[in-house]
Amino acid sequence: MRHYIKISLLFAGILILSAQTPSTREYQLKAVFILNFTQFVEWPPNSFSSPQAPLVIGVLGKDPFGNYLEEVLSNEKINGHALVAHRYKSMEDIEKDCHVLYINLSESGKNEKIITNLKGVSILTVSDNPDFLKQGGMIRFYTKDNKIQLQINPEAAKSANLTISSKLLRLAEVITPKLKSK
Amino acid sequence: MTLFRDIPIQKKLMSVIFLISGIMLLVTCSSFFVYEFYTFRQTTIQKLSTLGEIISTNSTAALAFQDQESADEILAALKAEPHIVAACLYDKNGKLFSFYPSSLDVKKLPVKSELTGYHFDDSYLQGFQPVVQGSKQLGTLYLRSDLDAMYERFTLYSIITALVIATSLLLAYFLSQILQKSIAKPILALAETVKTISIQGNYSLRAIKLGKDELGSLTDAFNDMIGQIHSQNLTLSEFNQTLEQKVKDRTLELETVNKQLDAFSYSISHDLRAPIRSINNYINILLEDYDEQLDTEAKRLIQVVIQNSQKMGLLIDDLLAFAKLGRKDLAKVPLSMKTMVKEIWEEAHQLESNRNIQFVIQDIPEAYAEKATIRQVWVNLISNALKYSRKKENTSIEISWKENEKEIIYSIQDNGIGFDMKYYNKLFGVFQRLHSAQDFEGTGVGLAIVERIIEKHGGKIWAKSTPNVGTVFYFSLPKHNSV
Repeated sequence: MRHYIKISLLFAGILILSAQTPSTREYQLKAVFILNFTQFVEWPPNSFSSPQAPLVIGVLGKDPFGNYLEEVLSNEKINGHALVAHRYKSMEDIEKDCHVLYINLSESGKNEKIITNLKGVSILTVSDNPDFLKQGGMIRFYTKDNKIQLQINPEAAKSANLTISSKLLRLAEVITPKLKSK
Repeated sequence: MTLFRDIPIQKKLMSVIFLISGIMLLVTCSSFFVYEFYTFRQTTIQKLSTLGEIISTNSTAALAFQDQESADEILAALKAEPHIVAACLYDKNGKLFSFYPSSLDVKKLPVKSELTGYHFDDSYLQGFQPVVQGSKQLGTLYLRSDLDAMYERFTLYSIITALVIATSLLLAYFLSQILQKSIAKPILALAETVKTISIQGNYSLRAIKLGKDELGSLTDAFNDMIGQIHSQNLTLSEFNQTLEQKVKDRTLELETVNKQLDAFSYSISHDLRAPIRSINNYINILLEDYDEQLDTEAKRLIQVVIQNSQKMGLLIDDLLAFAKLGRKDLAKVPLSMKTMVKEIWEEAHQLESNRNIQFVIQDIPEAYAEKATIRQVWVNLISNALKYSRKKENTSIEISWKENEKEIIYSIQDNGIGFDMKYYNKLFGVFQRLHSAQDFEGTGVGLAIVERIIEKHGGKIWAKSTPNVGTVFYFSLPKHNSV
């Protein structure tokens, strides 16, 4: 029941927000997308300290979601893991038990460094930065025809021991950039 | 079943074979049909839900990320399955998200139901299926399949079934045509033989044995029976022939003996006549010539001799007449019996004119017979009637007749002394007398002569009598044209 109330709230929100700034609505959708990523990505079992440990969605830098992320994530569970949102001010704050990391544009210059630092750690990195995939990021949002589209670099996810479902890849533009390190 | 009982055995066998194979085929085919119908429905449901599973699994991401193009693309792949006439994806809020085919009239789509699973509705198989990623429902898939595949399948099945039944019945027909012969043929052959034998009466015929089964044994048994009848018939007819021959031989012997006897009695009678005449002559001469020398006693004794010799003469005459009858053939002519009887009556009546006699003669018909002998019959019968009624005060004699198809029966009835019927068998015997000679004179030859005459004419004589009431004599003579 709560689920439906939440959905109707969400839609009511969308209807209200449609009259608001486009970016607000955009991040509402992106929050839902981030939630949905958790359904189509598999994390290695050792990335969770226990079967009941929460799946942590981190936001690095300036938080564009506001309360929406919490709204979307509340009461959701993926494979027995509750979903929680954490916010990190700087790269150093990022915890080991983080699973999804949204990196905001404000830290764009540090992207490459961040990604290099996270190498080998099973964190799904998401950003709006156009060069994000070239820098070794995994998923990038972009807008086309007034719709939010995805670009995915499965190779990067694979090297982080993450498995992205082909169903997700089907919807996205798959990009395999030549990494500078090579 | 009464009708079935009466139809020929060949048809009976055929119908039995047909009926059984037909029923078996029908039962088998319909069970297969039902089985196939059931399993095919199950299979169709299973196929559709499998297809639904594939579609829903593939469309999770499209639903999750609101990618309608991708969802349309996934649903468009259903084109490969021509029996899918409609498919829809609803998002988790129950809103229509994508549909197939693009020409689908969205307004006519069913209201999304909470019930999941597929079921048959009118001419469709349709149902809803949740679209689940992990443990999360992302939406609902609706699929509708027409039943053309099923109809096609069942049409094919019906055609095959009809063909199988037709072929099987045709085969059954030809096989039974051949096989029933082995049962029906011996029976029909046997029946035919029985018929021929009973119609022709030819017991030398035998039924042909066609096999060593029960019918073969029946044929054997029948042939044995016919053989026995045949041999019994032969024995019987042989026996018959022997018997006939024996009868012929005996008759011949008897005839010879009879003739000899007739000849003997004739010659005896003839030979006896001469001496009795000479006794008569001489005793009359004695009486005439020595009348004066003889005393009264001698004359009385001589009278006794004369009476007895006359009696003997009469006896010999009667015997001679009786014997003569066997020796000559009859000369038959039409005779007026009434005239004859009247004449005889006049003569006989003269002698006993002192008696009170009521004589009635009916209008008796003509006879075709020999005059002299039939006259003798009437003389004897009328004199008997007069004689044995002599002791009655009033005598009544009636001569009557009746007839049947072949003969005329004359009768003479008196109210005389009669006789006891227990002596009837002696009535027509030679020298047989039912009354003493003292009471009624006679030689005992009269009725024997009458019987012999009537028998010689091919007729019969019989009598009915009650002592002291009277006697009726009947004799029959064959009608002229029936001789």
